[in-house]
Parts: sequence; structure tokens; C-alpha cells
Amino acid sequence: MAEVETETDRPVPDELEESQASRRRGAEPEPQKGVGSRWLWGGLALPGIVWLCLLFIAPLYVVLAIIFGGIDPILRQPVPVWNPLDWDFSQFNFVMGRIFGPDPYFRPAMIRTVAYVASASLICLVIAYPVAYFTARLAGRWKGLLLAALIAPFWISYMMRMLAWVNLLQTDGLVNKTLSAGGLFNVHYAWLQGHSTTVILGLVYGYVPYMILPLYAGLDRAPTAMLEAARDLGASRFQTFYRVTWPLTRTAVVVSLLVTTLPMLGDYFTVDLLSGSPSNSMIGNLINNSVLTPGETGQAGAFVLIVLVVSVIPMFIYLRSTRSGTDIAV
Amino acid sequence: MGARTGPAHDRSRQLHRRTVLRGGLLAAVGVPLLSACQTRTHDYGELRIPTPENPIRWPLSKKYPIIESGLKPQPGSVLRIYNYADYLSPKMMKDFEAQTGVDIHLSTFNDADEALTKIASGNLGFDLYFPSYDSLGKLIQAELLRPLNQDYLTNAKNLWHSFDNPWYDLGSRYTIPYTIYSTGIGWRTDLADVNLSQYENPFDVFWDTQYTDNMAILDDWHTAIGMVLMRNGVNDLNTTNSKYLEEARVALLDLRKTMNPKVTIQMYTDMPSGQYGLAQFWSGDAINMPYYLPKKTPVDILRYWFPPDGVGEIDNDLVVCLGQGSNPVAAHYFMNQILDVTSAGQNFGFTGYQPPLKQFTPSDLVKQGYVPENLATAVVQESDFKTGLPLLQLPVTAENEYHQIWQEFKSGG
Repeated sequence: MAEVETETDRPVPDELEESQASRRRGAEPEPQKGVGSRWLWGGLALPGIVWLCLLFIAPLYVVLAIIFGGIDPILRQPVPVWNPLDWDFSQFNFVMGRIFGPDPYFRPAMIRTVAYVASASLICLVIAYPVAYFTARLAGRWKGLLLAALIAPFWISYMMRMLAWVNLLQTDGLVNKTLSAGGLFNVHYAWLQGHSTTVILGLVYGYVPYMILPLYAGLDRAPTAMLEAARDLGASRFQTFYRVTWPLTRTAVVVSLLVTTLPMLGDYFTVDLLSGSPSNSMIGNLINNSVLTPGETGQAGAFVLIVLVVSVIPMFIYLRSTRSGTDIAV
Repeated sequence: MGARTGPAHDRSRQLHRRTVLRGGLLAAVGVPLLSACQTRTHDYGELRIPTPENPIRWPLSKKYPIIESGLKPQPGSVLRIYNYADYLSPKMMKDFEAQTGVDIHLSTFNDADEALTKIASGNLGFDLYFPSYDSLGKLIQAELLRPLNQDYLTNAKNLWHSFDNPWYDLGSRYTIPYTIYSTGIGWRTDLADVNLSQYENPFDVFWDTQYTDNMAILDDWHTAIGMVLMRNGVNDLNTTNSKYLEEARVALLDLRKTMNPKVTIQMYTDMPSGQYGLAQFWSGDAINMPYYLPKKTPVDILRYWFPPDGVGEIDNDLVVCLGQGSNPVAAHYFMNQILDVTSAGQNFGFTGYQPPLKQFTPSDLVKQGYVPENLATAVVQESDFKTGLPLLQLPVTAENEYHQIWQEFKSGG
């Protein structure tokens, strides 16, 4: 039996227009496809594209031209070769051979770099998360002051902060004097004589402020209502943190880890100042040593390429993380 | 799943293809453009290496002519100096600025390789550079130096006679000597109980495990490998013998594994501050150490050893005028001031590095208080240059071998 449409069931024109409009709102209106619009969006992207070309693609090509280029016969300086058809892969192969070949004397520095960076990043996270959590959620009227204190390390250069530790960690420095407890113990630990612990703690000290700020931003943005709802629904404090706070701040954690691990991967200064021993060399030191050694600049470029490739992995994780974050929000 | 299918996904695929096509087009246009950029190549002819047995009179540069006589530095102009840190007296520079009205801009480097890399990289505009003679040949043959006009160097008469016509630059066409120094062993008696006479070879001290974590060696590939060669009984510190170099490599790696040395050129501040008790030392740094000791620490805890028979590393640094500089006249005036007795005394007081001037006789240096009695062994005698072992410029292949050994050592592998 066919249904009969009555007068009252049929939507009036105004209602129809409104419902269509609301459907369009819900379905994200398609952007205008006019020629002018296309140029507008392209024009807005132009500064970013120019920036990317000048500061990433062009330098990357220079690095490649140096890695696969030649060497001046007397001064041993790199001679970039711009035409890829003329590239020479001997410097690159040399580095690869010393990492994966039978005489892998670069390999320990690679492994050491991963170990140092992973340890330092983990310690940074353990320190930074509670600090950021306290500042964002519990500091109350002290929030502004605490934020200023968190930003304060950025006012002093990284080198100066490390140099301060050189003084403190000397054998007769303040750290050993404090540990001696006024002569109660005989502490003469040579902190600066090539110890992994000192390097990792140096990295932690140097980079922890960079981790606190993105974490703070993430925690500050997390909606309080959701946390309260979790508590109202009977979740314990731990459950609230584990099932609500942590998932909400996971993207911020990934960002903060990226912000710290990427510069740490290329760091050489911390080892130079707080250790100076080849036993603690990181990949950044290999790059620095190669750059400053005539005839080895191409090898430095090869190391840079390795760091670049390795950096892409956490970047990929970040992109996946932000994408899944968007999905959750939608 | 929905997000990965349908027109939106197709659009992204089309965009991707378009991007790839664009990239290909860019590469097709860009690569020939880039390949059109000329690659810099040099043909220097045969590499010439000066040695005491093979002295060299370098030809005058065609690129940078000698400056005319009788010119005066332009007040307000800038003199750019490129040197090691703490290797030039600030007072001497200030006096020069006051006398001439020239502003001095000082830039520093950590080692000669770094300096050469930066100088060769292009027009940094440095007027004066302080190399050792192991890189002099490279600098001249690469046409980076300006020959000197001796008319401006009236104080050259103060130099030791042995530097009147040096083997590395006959006729002193490009250089004046700056400082002289030996390389030996330094220690603090309160931090390292060192008795060198107990070792068959005094350099064995650097492999004595009682000093593990308590020592440093110089961050200079040739100086450090030279020490290892001497420890191995090889007195040719510029050897190209692969067997000797392999033995040096093994010994150096053993040093790293067993002793965990710090590799630095800052021992003149590190040791006084108590970071370690034993180190390979340049004599000038040893003389400079008391200046950096904490106030209540007595100077007599410091020691320096150099082979008493004079058979050890001995060198001198030079001052050269770089062609890339824009103020060669002021550069000549400053070089002449370096050879002035009063200025040289000021400079020695600050750097600890001895000038080879007649007025600074070794015995007087101790008497006049420039050098404490316990560091008198750090004073270089003119006769040391007859018995000493200079670090020379190496042939390219051998230099690569040395660099590779040093690279393996420093990479901590």
C-alpha cells in the first residue's frame, strides 16, 4: 500500500532550505574551485615553499654535492660536484663501510648516540611531565611565575649553561664538595673525565626546558570537563590519568620528544665540554671532527645524511600521532 | 576506511602524480642548470715540502703582490687576525690600536686543520694568520699568502740568527717566526705521583694504568701521533712507513681503551683547576699554567719534562699575511710590533710562549721571573732546534693515513 503524503508531512520551502543548509554545515562545504581561489591558495603557500626550498632543499642538495663531490689535491677541501651524473660515492661508501663493514669503528659512536639520546629523552620526560602537569593544573596563582621560571633557561645560552657545569663538576668543584658533606666523606670523583653519566645528565639539563614547554601547552589545553567526568563516573586518580589525561596529552609528549631528540642527535658540544674523551663520542662529534679535518668533509656530509634519515622516523611517528589525534577529535 | 576511499582519496592520488611529474620536470631543468655551475678545481703542480734537509725559497705570489714601501695604516680601518685562543696579548693589541688607530678584530680556532679549512673556504677576510710550518707549503702553493715587504719589518734584527734565513722559507719571503715551543709531559705532583725515570721510555707514563681517568693528550693529530711514534722508538715523526704507522695506531687505540684520556688543547686551564694530573703538554702552555692555578695552590706542584738530550718534538709558529685580507699595511705594522722587544715581552707574559728574540735568553727568562724555577725545563734553547724533531708537512697519502688513525681514535670505536 502506497503511503500518502499529507500536507503537514511535506516540508515547507523555508524548512527545506534550513535543513539543506544544516546538512551542508555538517558535511563541510566544498571549497570554491574558481581560478582566482586556486591562485589565492597557491599564493599563500608561496612563502612557505620558498622558505622550504631555500632552507631545506637547496642546503640538502649542497650537502649531497659535497658528499659525492671531490677533494682539492693540496688543501684537502671539498670540491662540490653539482651534476649527479659525475658524483663519486667513495666518501659515502667509506663511512658505510666503517659502520656496517668488517672494520666498523664508527658503529660504537652510532650505538652510543642512540643510547645517550634515548636515556636522556626518557629522563627528560620523567622530569618534565610532572613539572608541566603541576604548572598547568595545580599551580594556581603561581602559574605565571612558574612559567617565567620555565622560560628563564632560554635567556642563557646553551654553552654558558654547560660551562657552568664544568666549574661545578671539577674534581675540587662544588658538586664533590657537597657530596663530601664537609669532609665526612672523601669524594674526588672525576666527573669530567669521560663518563657517560655526566654526558647524559648534561644532555638532560640542556634539553629539559625544551620538553617542558610543549608538554605544558598540551596539558593546559586538555579539557577539565573530561577529567571531572572521569572522576564523576567513578574512575580513580590513576585511572583518570591513565585513561583520560595521558591519551589527551600523547601528541604533546610526541612533540616534546621530537623537539628534544632531534637536536640531541646532532649534539657534539655537550660531549666536548663535559667529557672530551673519545670514549663518549656521539655522531655529532664525528660530524664535527670530519668537518674540521681536511679531506673528510664528504664523510661529515654522509653522517649528516644518516642523521637526516634517522630523524625522519620520529617525524613519521609524530605525523601518525597527530593524524590519529585529529581522528579522535572528529 | 571511508577516509581512504572515494573521490577525496582519488584527488590526493592525482595530486601525488602531479607532484611527481612536477618534481621530474624540476629535476630535468634543474640538473643541467646545477651542472652548469662550475666546479672549482686547482692545478698546483707538484707539491713541494720544505724540510731542514730540503730548504725552499718560495716564488713570489702572482695573485697577491708585495705592498709598496712607505705606506701607513689607515686609522679607523679593521685588521682581522685569525689565531688560537689566548695566543695573543690583549694589551699588545690595545697598544697597537692606540698607536695606529686601527681596530683589531680577533677570531680564534681550535686547531690548524680547522683554521686551514676556514681560510681555504673563501673570503673570510683575515689579514693575519698564525700557522706552523707544516702547513706553510700548502698556504703558499694554494696562493693564499701575500709576500712580505721587509722594509716594514725593521724589528726582524732582534731575531735569533738561526731564524735569519729559515729552511721553511729561505729569505723570509712570507713569514716571520712568532713563538718557539717544545712538546713534552706535564704533571701536578699533588694529583699524579710521576717518576719518569722508572720507565724504559718516559712516554710509557701515558700507558701506565695508575693514571687511568687522570690524564689528557693534545687534540692535534700530528703532535699526538708523533708522541706515540717516539714511545714506539721511532724518531722520524713524519714517517710514511706503513708498519710504523700501524704500530702507532694500535698503541693509540690501546691508550684510549686502557687510559680513557681527555683529548683537548685546554690542559693549561684544566690541569691547574684539578681536572687531571698528567698530560701531554706544549711548553708554552706549561709556562702559562701558574697563571690559572687557584690562589692558594702553590706553583711548585707543577712539572714539565722534555727529553734532556733535546731529541723531542720541537717547533715554531709563524705569522703570515693572508691575501684575502683587506688591510695588508696594518698587517705588516702589526708583524713588526710582534718582533718588538717590549711587545714580545708583554705577549710572552700573557701566552707563556717564548719569542725567538736575542733579548730573551733562556737563563734570563727564569731570572726575570717569566718562568718559575720548577718549569725551567719548558724554556727552549736555540740549540734545541739542531737536535729537535720538527713536525713537517706530509705528502698527501701519508697525511690521509695519519688522519685516518686519528679519526679512528677520536671516534671511540
